Amino acid sequence: MLRPRNATHPYLMIAPTLLFLVVFFILPLGVAGWRSLYRWDLLTPPEFVGGQNYARLLETGEFTRALGITLTYSVVVVAGCLVLGLLLALALNRPGKFVGFVRASVFSAYVVSWVSVALLFVWMLDANAGLLGRALRGIAPGGMLSSPDTAIHALAGVTIWKITGYAMVVFLAGLQDIPKELYEAAALDGAGRWSRFWNVTWPMLRPTTAFVGTSSLIVSFQAFDVVRVMTQGGPANSTMVFVYAIYEHVFQNFRLGRASALIMLFFALLLVLTGLQLWAWKLGTGRREAARGAGARARA
Amino acid sequence: MTRLSRRSFLGAAACAAMPLAGCGGTKVPAGRLGVRFWFSYGGRNRQVLEGLVSRFNASQDRVWILPTYQGEYFESLTKLRSAIAANTEPVITHVVGEVIPYFAEAGVLEDLGGYPGVRELDLVPALAQSGTWIGGDRKPLIALPFNRSTPILYVNQDMLDRAGLRPPETWGELRAHAKALQRVQGGEVKTWGLVCPINWWFWVALVAQAGGTVVEADGTPTLGGEAGVKALELWQQMVHRDGTMRPPPGRDYNAWDIAKGDFLSERTAMIYTSTAFVRYLDDNARFHAVAAPLPRDERRAVPTGGTFFLMMKDAPSEQKLAAWEFLRWMCEPQQTIEWSTGTGYMPVSERAVKKLEAEGWYGRHPNDRVAMDSLAHAVPWPWAPNLFRVERECIDPLLEQAVLLNRDSREMLARARKQAMED
Repeated sequence: MLRPRNATHPYLMIAPTLLFLVVFFILPLGVAGWRSLYRWDLLTPPEFVGGQNYARLLETGEFTRALGITLTYSVVVVAGCLVLGLLLALALNRPGKFVGFVRASVFSAYVVSWVSVALLFVWMLDANAGLLGRALRGIAPGGMLSSPDTAIHALAGVTIWKITGYAMVVFLAGLQDIPKELYEAAALDGAGRWSRFWNVTWPMLRPTTAFVGTSSLIVSFQAFDVVRVMTQGGPANSTMVFVYAIYEHVFQNFRLGRASALIMLFFALLLVLTGLQLWAWKLGTGRREAARGAGARARA
Repeated sequence: MTRLSRRSFLGAAACAAMPLAGCGGTKVPAGRLGVRFWFSYGGRNRQVLEGLVSRFNASQDRVWILPTYQGEYFESLTKLRSAIAANTEPVITHVVGEVIPYFAEAGVLEDLGGYPGVRELDLVPALAQSGTWIGGDRKPLIALPFNRSTPILYVNQDMLDRAGLRPPETWGELRAHAKALQRVQGGEVKTWGLVCPINWWFWVALVAQAGGTVVEADGTPTLGGEAGVKALELWQQMVHRDGTMRPPPGRDYNAWDIAKGDFLSERTAMIYTSTAFVRYLDDNARFHAVAAPLPRDERRAVPTGGTFFLMMKDAPSEQKLAAWEFLRWMCEPQQTIEWSTGTGYMPVSERAVKKLEAEGWYGRHPNDRVAMDSLAHAVPWPWAPNLFRVERECIDPLLEQAVLLNRDSREMLARARKQAMED
């Protein structure tokens, strides 16, 4: 093991990062935790209310509702990105100018700003004048964004459209990393296209899939711009995802205490999710290592 | 639109493109005292306002008003509250009436009662602080009326003529007319009977017409009791049972813009809107657009709306005095008339109203007359600091849920009332 020449060196080296973390993450979180115990509207003096803000969030069902909406949105976004990203990558994983053009086109959506994309889709989804809105009249006669049942799915659809290009590029990189020999060997063993995908491509893409899944999950939990521009949390609060609910409490209702309580609950939720993910990852690694160990024993 | 509407987006873009010409600029000429003024108008209203500000700036050589666009009402309110907390607020601004009791109780507003010439202001009582709030005349003077309005019904008279109808006068007629005027082709609605934003202002009007009050004088949010239920059910019936009313998508002014758009493109025979848009609708309708009082139930009633000028208490005194000169000037008949005839908001000076009458303005513009006459049925607001919060947090979501999801109105109201009382 490496020993530092001076015992303080490691601390000095992590100091810049630590300082950044403390100033921009830990300190604000602490302030939010403290403020969550108050009723405060910025203009009049804060009033200590203990756990009342948390109690109200849970009693009124606001927390569970935001959780349900955010999870619905996340599940659709993550599943959509994974499936579409993978399909596009498989279809476009070949040389050629035209294919290159299509790849660039698909990816271009990822580069455009969220607000532009959202505004564009507000027009496209208009039930009277929008191309998509008219086509989707069968599902939502008044427009996808006007119905509480469809609005969140419309937002998820826009998000998928926007970030799938990125998923595709990551999948393409993953695909190009798979050694050709594996396919040759599989082909020699008589594996068909489907069998090659299932036994070579899919297992080899697992780390890529995990990465795409995680990154789209993060994006979906941070959703704000699309909601702000397209629905403002409506209709009938049906698109009130976590971040937007926090925004509403701070900037519309000026309930800083309630917003802080929501932030703390959101933070706790993210901690749990991260924990689950780490656990799943460890489980996966453990299995792989066990498998590798078994393989080595078999060879021995 | 608290959301970014097309117009505000383009407005902001235009603003960024021409910082001096379009937005008043940020430079104060030498020898002048700069006074920051935040406003919330886009489009035509903004042009009229900026025209007035330029005229004021040119009319004297001491004060220079710096107008800055801050987004629509709710956006600018958000900025104002944050700015007050951060001590970066402007000297003057204008905000919706419902939030003023809250600001007053928070102690951030300047008492205008002692400023020179305040007694000579001849404000129309129903539009001024004294008549807008119950007991408004007993409170220190902190708000001067600027752009004031009431809800109003607009009908496409050509369509009504074809159906042999006159504008509806009662709720019953409203429903019947909407059914008669609705056009459906191949299962698709070509013309709606009525388009009405699911917004608390219109609901407050309905509740008052049914004989109720949303927030009592002492601040208790009763949400109208049985009158509240009746008002909600009118919408539910028209949207779900009759299928003749379209609740326009979007929140706040997005929905209002869509209602106006539907009316001008003849996709609806009638809309609920604000007197603020009288000029806009009259100028842009390619058909005979007629304003009519809101249909009554038990009685005729309308709330007032729009904004008041406020001065911030913490501004330096010399700036406050300078700002006062501008406010007093804006309340004079000539400016009031320019603002009112240019936009459709109601003139706030009594002499201005008399002058417009004498000049035959109302004869030439009968829709403006309807707007002014609606003031006879204006219902004052309670002086309740919780009014704005009840509106934004309890009522607007309640209305959306009850109408769009067709939930039991009594149960929904009871839930909203509980929430409004507890917080």
